[in-house]
Amino acid sequence: MAKETPLLPVEDVREAALFFVVGALCFLAALAALSAKSTYGAAKSWTAEVQGELTVSLPDVDRRGADEAREVIEQTQGVRTARVLSKEEIDALLEPNFGSRGLPDSLPLPQLIAVEADPAVPDMGPTLARNLAEAGIASAVDEHADWAGDVRRVLGVARLTALIAVALLASTAVAVIAFATHAALLARRDIVDVLHLAGARDRFIAGLFERRFWVLGLRAGAVGALMALGAAALMIFTVQVHGSRAGLLPELSLDFLDLVILVVTPVIAGFAARFAARMTVIRALKGMM
Amino acid sequence: MTYPRHDLFDDVAVRLDSVSLRYDTSEDILSDIDLVLKPGSFSFLTGASGAGKTSLLKLLYLALKPSRGEVSLFGRPTSNLTRDQLSSLRRRVGVVFQEFRLLEHLSAYENVALPLRVLGRRESDYRADVEELLAWVGLGQRLHAKPPTLSGGEQQRVAIARAVVTQPDILIADEPTGNVDPDMGTRLMRLFLELNKRRGTTVIIATHDLGLVRQVEAPVYRLSNRLLVQDVEFGGETARRRTDPGLEG
Repeated sequence: MAKETPLLPVEDVREAALFFVVGALCFLAALAALSAKSTYGAAKSWTAEVQGELTVSLPDVDRRGADEAREVIEQTQGVRTARVLSKEEIDALLEPNFGSRGLPDSLPLPQLIAVEADPAVPDMGPTLARNLAEAGIASAVDEHADWAGDVRRVLGVARLTALIAVALLASTAVAVIAFATHAALLARRDIVDVLHLAGARDRFIAGLFERRFWVLGLRAGAVGALMALGAAALMIFTVQVHGSRAGLLPELSLDFLDLVILVVTPVIAGFAARFAARMTVIRALKGMM
Repeated sequence: MTYPRHDLFDDVAVRLDSVSLRYDTSEDILSDIDLVLKPGSFSFLTGASGAGKTSLLKLLYLALKPSRGEVSLFGRPTSNLTRDQLSSLRRRVGVVFQEFRLLEHLSAYENVALPLRVLGRRESDYRADVEELLAWVGLGQRLHAKPPTLSGGEQQRVAIARAVVTQPDILIADEPTGNVDPDMGTRLMRLFLELNKRRGTTVIIATHDLGLVRQVEAPVYRLSNRLLVQDVEFGGETARRRTDPGLEG
């Protein structure tokens, strides 16, 4: 005899619709997971960059006074480097606000000193301000880590939101598959009844549906993950081509962990589909004697 | 290949004690039914349409729970069994459904082999048995035909072959000859009798066909007015006779 025919017949349009829905959910879930991971990476990268960086603003001194202040700063324990910014550098910093033609010489600008300190030394900002004050130099110290903390908190919320989105999308997929399994169970009630009365155990019958939806979940998940990969690649390409002037955009790339997320997506979809199918069928069979 | 046998200490194959059945909130379909079928017995169940024959059979093949009373198979009350234990009992019961219940996407061969697949048997182990059985019921040339392409009589024979393929300890048949010609009916009856005599299979057949009943000297139970009585016209000795004044005379 030829290969045994599956006990559940090959499905119809409903299964194609379910495939589309699960594929779309997997696409969104994979994108959300990639976003969560990317946000985490960006936050980590940004905060690592600004840790230990400070800017000292000196409103009432000329270049010589700035050099004196730099010497005070350099003598402070924990300071690695201190550098007085040139007029050109200050112009470049203000270019986004005042344009590329530079600032008029008559406009008073503070002297700025870029400081790089050991991130492990605590309270570097207040220490510098105190030392400068003791030297009779008025200053304002901006510790970059302060606003980096704000950025980290915002990105943390964004990451949490993305993770919640992943969880919601996964739950939705499970619910959709449970619903579809229930519909399939009703549609195939005749088969289930015959198997049940022939002495098939619940797990045997559930296994038929599990296998069906496991394969569906895997395939739909794979399609969704591939679509997410395509979308991510397009985004990266766009940023690389047009993002050179968008300095605030984080550097985007696909690394090993991203690929793991994409590979795992169909597997999780398959398991979720299998789980949903099993629970639905077992519960329905409990209603039978 | 091993087949299930009667438990050593089974002294009854089927026992119904004061069994009643009702669907939802309606009146009882069956009321206070007592029945004992000994292992190896052969019985008929008759009654008018709507008398509850199929419902009674559903209780026997464990498709329904009684509203009251106890159904026991092979000496085991079924009310407190686990689902796996119920499945094990069902494997010892072959059923010919009135409406056949063949799976339309499977061939005749695959339909007959279905209970063996459920038991986890390998196709290579049962292939010859299934083909032989189908040949015996006159369908040796229609192994690969799907049910929609079979006539009513052919579908009925496939259903019967499926019910007996595991050589069950109890065979329950609901109008098993309703769609076949008299010759095939006689032949199928001979199959049931062979199973009964050679293997000691307990057989109960629900039928309208009194001609069929007369072919076999066996107890006849009649459902009437929700009650089960042993029909005195045909006699028998395995059942407890239930008397009901409304049915006598």
